[in-house]
Amino acid sequence: MFRKLAVYTPLTLFAAITLVPFLYLACSSLKTNDVFFSSPFLPIDSAWWDINWSGLTLDNFKRLFQEAGIGRAIVNSFFFASTMAVLGTLGSAMGGYALAKFNFLGRGMFTNIVLTALIIPGALLLAPGYKVLYTLGLLDSYAGLILPGVAPAFGVFLFRQAFVSGLPTEMMEAGRIDGCGEVRMFFQLALPMVRPMVGAFLLITYLGTWNNFIGPQIVLQTPEKYPLAVAVAQLRGPYGSEYGMIMAGTIVAILPVLILFLMLQKDFIAGLTAGSVKG
Amino acid sequence: MAMKRSILGSGYLSPGSAIVMLIAAVSTVVVLVWPIEKRQGLEFWTFSKTHSQMYAEQLKTWNAQADAEGAHPRVNLFVIDMTALVRRTLSSFWADTPVADMIEVEGNTIGRYVAGPLEDVGFVDLTDLLQEEGIYDLVNPPSFSLWTSRGRVFGLPHDVHPVMLCYRADIVEEAGIDVSEIETWDDFARVLAPLIKDLDGDGRPDRYLLNTWYTNTEWIEPLMLQAGGGTFDESGELIVASKANALVISTIIHWCFGEGRIAIDAPEFSPAANHLKIEGRVVASLMPDWLASTWKNDMPQLSGKLKLMPLPAWEPGGRRTSVYGGTMIAIPKSTKNFDEAWAFVKHLYLSEELAEELYRTTNIITPVRRYWDSDYFNEPDPYFQGQAPGAMYIALAPDVPPRTSSPFRPLAMTRIGEAINDLRKYAQANDIYEVDGLMPEALRLLEEAERRVRAEMSRNVFLTEVTP
Amino acid sequence: MSRGTRTPWWAPYLFIAPFAVAFCVFTAYPLFESIVMAFLQTSGPKRSEYVGLSNFSWMWEDPDFHKAVRNTVIFACGSIFIQLPCSLGLALLLNRPDIKGRAFWRMIFFAPSLVGLAFVAILAGLVFEKNTGLLNVALHQVIWFDPEFPWLQEYVMPALIISAFWMYVGFNMVYFLAALQNVNTDLLEAAQVDGAGPLHRFRHVTIPAIRPVATFVILLSLIGSFQLFELPYLLLNNSGGPDNQGLTIVMYLYQKGFDWGDLGYASAVGWVLALLLSVFAIIQRILSKTEVA
Repeated sequence: MFRKLAVYTPLTLFAAITLVPFLYLACSSLKTNDVFFSSPFLPIDSAWWDINWSGLTLDNFKRLFQEAGIGRAIVNSFFFASTMAVLGTLGSAMGGYALAKFNFLGRGMFTNIVLTALIIPGALLLAPGYKVLYTLGLLDSYAGLILPGVAPAFGVFLFRQAFVSGLPTEMMEAGRIDGCGEVRMFFQLALPMVRPMVGAFLLITYLGTWNNFIGPQIVLQTPEKYPLAVAVAQLRGPYGSEYGMIMAGTIVAILPVLILFLMLQKDFIAGLTAGSVKG
Repeated sequence: MAMKRSILGSGYLSPGSAIVMLIAAVSTVVVLVWPIEKRQGLEFWTFSKTHSQMYAEQLKTWNAQADAEGAHPRVNLFVIDMTALVRRTLSSFWADTPVADMIEVEGNTIGRYVAGPLEDVGFVDLTDLLQEEGIYDLVNPPSFSLWTSRGRVFGLPHDVHPVMLCYRADIVEEAGIDVSEIETWDDFARVLAPLIKDLDGDGRPDRYLLNTWYTNTEWIEPLMLQAGGGTFDESGELIVASKANALVISTIIHWCFGEGRIAIDAPEFSPAANHLKIEGRVVASLMPDWLASTWKNDMPQLSGKLKLMPLPAWEPGGRRTSVYGGTMIAIPKSTKNFDEAWAFVKHLYLSEELAEELYRTTNIITPVRRYWDSDYFNEPDPYFQGQAPGAMYIALAPDVPPRTSSPFRPLAMTRIGEAINDLRKYAQANDIYEVDGLMPEALRLLEEAERRVRAEMSRNVFLTEVTP
Repeated sequence: MSRGTRTPWWAPYLFIAPFAVAFCVFTAYPLFESIVMAFLQTSGPKRSEYVGLSNFSWMWEDPDFHKAVRNTVIFACGSIFIQLPCSLGLALLLNRPDIKGRAFWRMIFFAPSLVGLAFVAILAGLVFEKNTGLLNVALHQVIWFDPEFPWLQEYVMPALIISAFWMYVGFNMVYFLAALQNVNTDLLEAAQVDGAGPLHRFRHVTIPAIRPVATFVILLSLIGSFQLFELPYLLLNNSGGPDNQGLTIVMYLYQKGFDWGDLGYASAVGWVLALLLSVFAIIQRILSKTEVA
């Protein structure tokens, strides 16, 4: 009994600490301005059991879509994150496949480049990257955000590991003898063999892109192109004194990924740990 | 399951991958078919929702005329988060990304735009136009100081922004205190001292006299300007290490800590801090003219409980006001419609309608002097117990201290902020909270701050003409 | 390998092409460019002037940069010495064979890391407010904590560390949980039979088994901590906060480069950061090698 208590008490405590901010967020987004400070959670009149139901409203969400045009930002975020995930995964898988399964001039060099690029901090590339995008005329476009990420070194590295251990060379030999073209072989034979890595990397990239703030903040200038991270942060200007609106914006921004990932958590966690255990 | 399998091609993709790819396909289509509207006419950016409300009426008329007569283009106004506005404007200066035809610029951000060589400033230089069209003579001269860099003016000022002291008349009068006894800040602390109270009975005082805090340098700057200090003087000389600044920062520490504490931290624009003000935990606040309307909007509960008075002076007979905030309207060089934009800018900023609207909706007094004797400035305002704030602010307008547009002003303020924080540590370590005891250390810290500002200024290779 | 079969010579190049092109254009070239830029002072991307080593010598002198480095190091220490041990503790609890609903707990602890830093920052802005913020109100009611406790005025770093703790403790737990699967249970049982206490078993059986993952997680935390930006940037309203208490290295870089247009100086700062991180990476590599030997 004591043992059980010693295990479940800290777990419950931690779970509470983890969940309270979510609860706070949810309650705050539903409160009107007048009752915002009456209590941290549901609005109350005189005591905690005396809940003031009339202080709850969906107005914040309605205004978010009607006045602040958050609908467009949601679509942008879906577009940005998913396109980046698909292209990034494809490019990484191709790169990893080449490094793992082919002998070619420059293979050693590319492998070293990938390993070195892993530790280049993104911040180092911010200033010169901005200049490159300026030179290429890619500022204020999604191309400027997506193209630099079509084959991240981290992804190439993960897929290289996955192909080395997951795709027997004999299978490829057999495919070639059957007259299978190289491109077809990649999509029909190679990719299915590393399916877990494909799923995991798609999800990691999706999440990372959805939550990316600094990239769009620097590159995009037209409000109709803003993804949620930037659009919600900017609610704080015009709606600075309306906490309910800001909290509603935050909920709208995190709910889609929260739902997606809690549904697919196995895939996702497998992907996260793949890098550490195998690498 | 069988259904899913056939769609996904015999399990070629995991469910997660399938969902992501589905999202990619659908959202790409949506993004492609959802066009970004090309707007007709001129684009006008402001950072202030209040401003946009204030311009609404005139814009409506302007655009109705545009539609009916076609004499001028329509104007579309957008409210944009301040950081975003600055970043988008700078990005257009540096990299030719799209930008508006007219932009309202906030006083604290002007330095960013003039941080490069003069010819790189992306706003149209209006100096000659202002001269030719006689606009200089219409507008209160100190109002241009903030928008002038190296002798060139980059915009039309929107305001004067004198500062008064706003106090809870209900609380003060209930205690039988007469504020006419207050002439200096020392008087202020002494006369109102009985109002510091523990309201909820937890043994800690909850109500304090003045809304200020040693970390809130933005609101300490007007106090320094009032005392005759600040960052740069009119000729562009650094005055960080002035006696006036030392006096102000020592006093701030005195106000925030120790026996003499009278300050409470209730920053503006924070709903949390507004809550404190409504609860009566803040007796007095610095109040520039514009802030009055913000309070009216955000804290209607305080109507009839407040009154205004000139700021207490730093010494008997000293300046009874200061200046805080400011806006100008500027036209980026990249606009294709300069003449039309300039026409609209003048129409908006110099019109009598706007002067009245400006005062009625935002409590801001116009910088256009010929409107200063209008009747509406004398109307009693129930929010301030029937006082006439307009006339009171106008009476102080000639005393407003001049300001600098130096790109190094934010830097100098950061260093002063550090000096204040170091002074706080010094005070706490040595248990000295009296102004006289803090003065020598304050002066020493400010000298150190000034030395650092000078070092950073001499590093800049593009601003040699403003570098000492 | 594919020697002797009919592999077209172009196949590997086709597959490596996306990486090669993207790397050249968006990494290698900017990297080269940033070496040049580190010796320039610029005013936006169009205007620049050669200033020699003065960017680096100024970094050495600038108290703001010192502050940024100090804050970043404090934050990294918070991650490594407070957050990671808690992650490990949670993982050990969840790894007990008799635990019920392991997936459920894991999901709860993991959820905050799905929320982007930008959004955590916005939320934290409200939670840490004086007098009315959730944290002060709650602590005041439970333990009579000072409701005026100035998190965002004087305790910015602790506030940042707490926010990051909330966000990442479950995230790192997942790594440790995976690593604990490598622990040899037979060895643990044998040790127990031999009369080794729980601490002894932890030190001599568990720790060696999870060491590779632990060094990896520490490196990851370090790299992440040293690139901290969104959280303080948005929490402190796009500034370093009072007295630059929340200024981090990347924020410093961002301010100089993108607020003030000195992309040259920003590049120089980027190189110093890269240098610091590669030192960490080398240390990690040495550590994981000695452990194999």
